Amino acid sequence: MNTQRVWFAFFIVLALTLNFGFFVGEIDNPSHHNLYEFFFALIVSLIATILKIGDRSHLGAVLLATSLVADLQLIVAAVIWAYGSQVTGHVSGSVMASIVSLAGGAMLANVTSVILLIAETIQLKR
Amino acid sequence: MESTHRTRSRIRGAAMWLLLPRLRAPLIALIITYSVSILGLVLIPGQAPDGGVYYLSFLDAFFVVSYTATTIGFGEIPHPFTAQQKLWMLFVMYSTVIAWLYAIGSVLSVISDPSFRRLRVYQRAVGRIRARKEPFWIVCGYGGAGNQVIRFMDQSGIRSVMIDSDQTRADTAKLSDMTYDLDVLVGDASEPQTLVDAGVQSALCRGVLALTDHNQTNLTIATNTRILAPRVPVHARSESDANTRNLRSFNTEVVIDPYRVAARSLTQLIRKPRAFALYHELVDPDLNQIEILNVPDSGHWIVCAGDRLAETVTEAFLRAEIAFCLVSPEVSPIGDSITWVQGLGTEANTLRQARIAEAVGIVAGTNDDGDNLSILLTARTENERLITVARRNKPTSEPVFRQGNFHYVLREGRILAQEMYARITTPLLHQFIGQLEVMPEALVQRIIEKLNMRLGNQSPELAHFDISLDAKDAPGVLLFLNTARAAKVGDLLLDPGADHLNMPLVCLLLVRINGDVVPFPGEDLLLGENDRLLLWGATGSHHRLHLLIRRADLFESVLSSRRKPAG
Repeated sequence: MNTQRVWFAFFIVLALTLNFGFFVGEIDNPSHHNLYEFFFALIVSLIATILKIGDRSHLGAVLLATSLVADLQLIVAAVIWAYGSQVTGHVSGSVMASIVSLAGGAMLANVTSVILLIAETIQLKR
Repeated sequence: MESTHRTRSRIRGAAMWLLLPRLRAPLIALIITYSVSILGLVLIPGQAPDGGVYYLSFLDAFFVVSYTATTIGFGEIPHPFTAQQKLWMLFVMYSTVIAWLYAIGSVLSVISDPSFRRLRVYQRAVGRIRARKEPFWIVCGYGGAGNQVIRFMDQSGIRSVMIDSDQTRADTAKLSDMTYDLDVLVGDASEPQTLVDAGVQSALCRGVLALTDHNQTNLTIATNTRILAPRVPVHARSESDANTRNLRSFNTEVVIDPYRVAARSLTQLIRKPRAFALYHELVDPDLNQIEILNVPDSGHWIVCAGDRLAETVTEAFLRAEIAFCLVSPEVSPIGDSITWVQGLGTEANTLRQARIAEAVGIVAGTNDDGDNLSILLTARTENERLITVARRNKPTSEPVFRQGNFHYVLREGRILAQEMYARITTPLLHQFIGQLEVMPEALVQRIIEKLNMRLGNQSPELAHFDISLDAKDAPGVLLFLNTARAAKVGDLLLDPGADHLNMPLVCLLLVRINGDVVPFPGEDLLLGENDRLLLWGATGSHHRLHLLIRRADLFESVLSSRRKPAG
């Protein structure tokens, strides 16, 4: 068993699960979406991106690209959240809806990432 | 196409991919310390001035951690920290600053890594080569010959890309004084990828010069080029007959054996000194005068040489029936048919055995510069009327050989460079040189006298160039061809200025469209459409000539000036 592969798969799957956990719930209801879960989803997504760097195969390049998409979506969501809560004072239903929909987009990228990971694993003859 | 595209992108991305995996650990350390610090600040309660409890938002926490990690330190916001927050901030300060230093240190160490820098320099050179707009030649090997030929090409405005496996030689090449920037690739020219990176497959690549010191490397360069870019001509150096035959077997365009060229040059120097002088002026852009050496017919030559030069010179001298005595440390392989003295030639005794008192000249051709100088100095004390020919092996010994007052210095690198240059500049020059070898000395003498007469007492820089009488270059001349005022070779040599005097030029060669070759055409020879001419004379006159053939009015005034004195 390869420890590096364990961490690699761990972070990729964790990025998806956290993202999903944040995403479920009514789209414009702030009480359904946990701030800390969002924070961890962003951090884990960033770490997963760093882990994907350096694989020079074609699959590695696609995996890296999906991660970069997820990061971009989550960072934009974080900026909107910070702006909504700090500048306008409170997170309204419509702001929450755009945050969650951005996180939903990031989740789609994370799903692609996990599918690629599974596909690669199945191809291994062992 | 697909495969070349892939290798190119692999090479282009390589530097970044070398950098990023090595930054993986510091980047993860940075993300983890940041996230732990931010999370701690968000969770730890603070105290507002009114005594109430408040929590930092993620925005505030990220802000505080960011300015702490970068050691900017804006202070405690939004309210002064409690003891609990201060304790946490101590952890934040030390961990994030250390993580930053670690990350920056890693980036710096990767960037300053010598292999990374070499790769970057290489990639930048490859990028410049790919962006080229002008035609260029690839020169493999920056030794004596490579150095010289790049200089010659530079002087004639021909661009080149240099490949050498040695870093110090590449540095010398980059620092050399050139009109154009020389692109240098440090790499093994015998590897196909290096040739591809140097642009061998580019449509602008005019040819490859394989000039390294190793026969095998030159052979590999030639075969690789033949396969990678079949239309690109290869000019290869070869130092053995077997290697020459091998290179010719797959139609390598030009194979030059410096030892054979040296032997041919020596024979020409003795038998046809005028052709020798003219040849050297034409193929060496640094030479601007014709020095004719007067070699007495009677008497024999002494050849001091040990290696392959002894073989090639013996062969050439026997064929040209030049009497000579070989002084060689090892037994000659040619046999008893030649006079032979064992020894190096550095001692007066050996030279006396070779009858130095009756000799006309001596060739000091060993592969050691010290020995060669010693031979010539000894020989001069024995017979001061001797014609001295020195072989210079190392380019660094040049100053002694230049100041030694020898009649001719044989420089292997320069010989190679001249031979290659003659084939690179214009195909007409190479054709003329072929004619020169069979041309009688009296005719060569007439060419030289004619140019000297036209030059008068000036001694400008001499150069050769070619023109072709086609619609693109010479519309002014084409109008007057096949008419009653038929244009002749002599008309091209008249100055388009007011007085229509002869320009300091001679026409060396005229090649008709059907392939007929006229060496040193008479000035009354009629010109034809698409004729190509090789001219030789003072630099600067070719600008006037180009102007003359382009403009019909100038050419007409030249034609009418010709008629007046006749009528």
